[in-house]
Amino acid sequence: MSDAVTLSSEIDRWERIDRWFEKMGDRFNPILVKETRQALKSRQFVVTFSILLFAAFAWTVAGSLSMMPQIYTTPSAPRLLIGYYFVLAIPMLLVVPLAAYRSLEGEIDDGTLELLSITALSPWQIVLGKLASATLQMMLYFVALFPCVAYAYNLRGVDLPTVLLMIGILLVTALVLTVIALFLAPLSRGRTGRIVTLLLLILVLVLAEYGIGALVISMILYGTMMSVSLLFFLVATAIVVSLSLSHLLLSATAAQLTPESENRSTTLRLSMMVFSASLAGIVVYATQALNRSDTNGVLWFAFIAAFGLWLAAGSMMAAESSVITPRIRRELPQSFLARMMLTWFTPGPATGIVFASVNLVVWAGFAALVLGSIFNWQSPASSAGFREPLRMLVLLVAYAIGGLICVRLVILVVRINNHPRVEIGLAALVAVMVLSALVPYSIGMHLNDYRNFPYSRWQLTNWVWTINEAQNGIAVGWIEVIMILSVVGLAFLICLLTMPQVVMPRRTATPEEVIEALRQK
Amino acid sequence: MSSDCIEVRRLHRFFGKTKAVNDISFSVARGHVFGYIGPNGAGKTTSMRILATLDLPSYGDAFVDGFSVVNDPELVRRQLGFMPDSFGTYRDVNCSEYLDFFARAYGLVGRERNQRLKWVLDFTGTNGMAGKPVRGLSKGMKQRLCLGRALIHDPAVMILDEPAAGLDPRARIDLRKMIRELADRGKTILISSHILTELAEMCDSVGIIEQGQLLATGSVEQIQRERAKHRELVVRLLDRLADAAAELSAHDSVGKLDVDGNRLRFEFEGDDEAQSELVAWMVGKGYRVAEVISHKKSLEDVFMQVTEGLVQ
Repeated sequence: MSDAVTLSSEIDRWERIDRWFEKMGDRFNPILVKETRQALKSRQFVVTFSILLFAAFAWTVAGSLSMMPQIYTTPSAPRLLIGYYFVLAIPMLLVVPLAAYRSLEGEIDDGTLELLSITALSPWQIVLGKLASATLQMMLYFVALFPCVAYAYNLRGVDLPTVLLMIGILLVTALVLTVIALFLAPLSRGRTGRIVTLLLLILVLVLAEYGIGALVISMILYGTMMSVSLLFFLVATAIVVSLSLSHLLLSATAAQLTPESENRSTTLRLSMMVFSASLAGIVVYATQALNRSDTNGVLWFAFIAAFGLWLAAGSMMAAESSVITPRIRRELPQSFLARMMLTWFTPGPATGIVFASVNLVVWAGFAALVLGSIFNWQSPASSAGFREPLRMLVLLVAYAIGGLICVRLVILVVRINNHPRVEIGLAALVAVMVLSALVPYSIGMHLNDYRNFPYSRWQLTNWVWTINEAQNGIAVGWIEVIMILSVVGLAFLICLLTMPQVVMPRRTATPEEVIEALRQK
Repeated sequence: MSSDCIEVRRLHRFFGKTKAVNDISFSVARGHVFGYIGPNGAGKTTSMRILATLDLPSYGDAFVDGFSVVNDPELVRRQLGFMPDSFGTYRDVNCSEYLDFFARAYGLVGRERNQRLKWVLDFTGTNGMAGKPVRGLSKGMKQRLCLGRALIHDPAVMILDEPAAGLDPRARIDLRKMIRELADRGKTILISSHILTELAEMCDSVGIIEQGQLLATGSVEQIQRERAKHRELVVRLLDRLADAAAELSAHDSVGKLDVDGNRLRFEFEGDDEAQSELVAWMVGKGYRVAEVISHKKSLEDVFMQVTEGLVQ
């Protein structure tokens, strides 16, 4: 009798544990659950995991034996650790990102993405589920190799911070590469485009494998040969850039998976702002932690990154459809203050141009401020050194905004008989940039019998020559800069005034039955 | 709330200059099965994809259970089970895991999910296959599984795009039974197929579409009545066949006439009322009519008559 009671309570306990696990499982992302089930059963995982274990074991035996008998007396960790790094880096930096790419690409090819897009799962959940599954696989590979790393550490010759830094670099790089793979997977739906994106991904992975490998090997062999403040700055920068870039790429991936009827733009715009703000934060940190010359380098690097981002993103936003469904309109801010402040997050080409232009101007202003503090602009001796980069900043931003306005006009024409994707905006920008430089130069050459000719104001749209001339400040001075600025400013104003109905947000009421249905949800 | 569970209003979908869907309007009452018939490239899949919120109309709107596919797609999706013309299966996943994944994706949790899973496996007859890998299933079983996937969240409306394509006769009959049973349980079903005889048997109403335009809509009988003005009549007379043939040949409504033993076989243009008047006229003339057989046109005949086989 008592045996039966004990057995029954034992079964009850197992059932309770089972129910608890099931309850916990319900909280997980369904994609993660499915992908994990799939991945652990897949031939690719079994083969990779087996090879990893075999390679780790083989290297442990071969590496240890090759260093006998000195292994007992001299520090031998570096050699073993380099081998373990490669055993771990190949699955983490190559296999897992490629598997993530193939997984998302497979969803599109097999038509399952469409089936998922009509479930309760959001595109963000789909993307995060894929990323989480890839992370889980990375963790399994890492855990399998961890005893080997611990063994190598015990052989002395590499300090703990270096080992931790090596592991950190590997994990962060693997995550960022997986995010890049996920971003590239839905980028093209055509066969040629697919081949191009796959080749691009393989190129990125191989370069990363090579670059990170070289960095880690030099770290293991020679340690980190830099000051503590620079090391901290680089680590912080790497973490911040990885996080904000990953968020931006994941937002872009989710936007690509979002149906056309939904708002694909607002989250992406927010994410771009976060990335831009992160870059600004890095510059501010650099002014505090680094010397003047390094800060100047960091500033220009950050400015070019932000400038490139806003120019490319601005061209794509200028190619967005101006049709906003009432549902998207309903989700926009409803209060007057919020509508006034958050207008630029409303999808559409008009707000997109304004959003990108404002960010370009803000970045130019920020860069000017930092330059001012670097060059100490109140001092007459260094003010000349400040004026030159300032002129460059103003010119770059003016040309960028002018280019975006041209892209908007080109897309308006294209849209008459077509339904272009946003990437066409980027292509239009490239065309506008090439033509704006090439056409005046060709005309000048023709008028001068195809001989060299000096710079004149007729070449003001030729941004390549103008910026080049502005660097030495002889042919292009502040008068030319103001001329360009006035034309672009006027074009920008006309652009705004002709589209007030799309720039200004409007309030749209939500039908009562929809409110009721959403409440029941 | 309206009794129509699906309502399509002036739906247009253009791809460049191609008018894939060109001004289509129809509605389907709750619990009815609506058959969508048309040649390849007629616009069936495009309009079904719009209803499934996978595409946006160029103009017009469609409503599922009162919610617009343009403005409230997330509310439409809750009411909708969609089965496209491709299977959409995963590698290294068994049937039970496949359905479990979609149940989770639709937000079903705990006991509710397990109950739905069990019901779907029972209903679709895939219980014995629960542990088998999806990729190894036969076409018929995959189709059942995909129907199960579309049913997992108990939707009010089901959109089935060519579910019977490539199935053997037994699998088709089983599918037809399942669809009829679902309709009896109150589900509204929009189904497209090329097998017209089956659609005629299971659908409460049909719509014939070609080149993006809806050419005819209504119940099968209604369309047959409206469209099938021409019918073949066979009249068996006890005597005076030659006289009757001569008199009938002169009749306005009678077309080509043949004498086949003691039967007169001829084309007749008119509805049931005109047919009864003709028989009465013959009896009035003193002909001894023993039997009248009217061959109405099948849905296939109507389809061939209505459509022209044009592809965009």
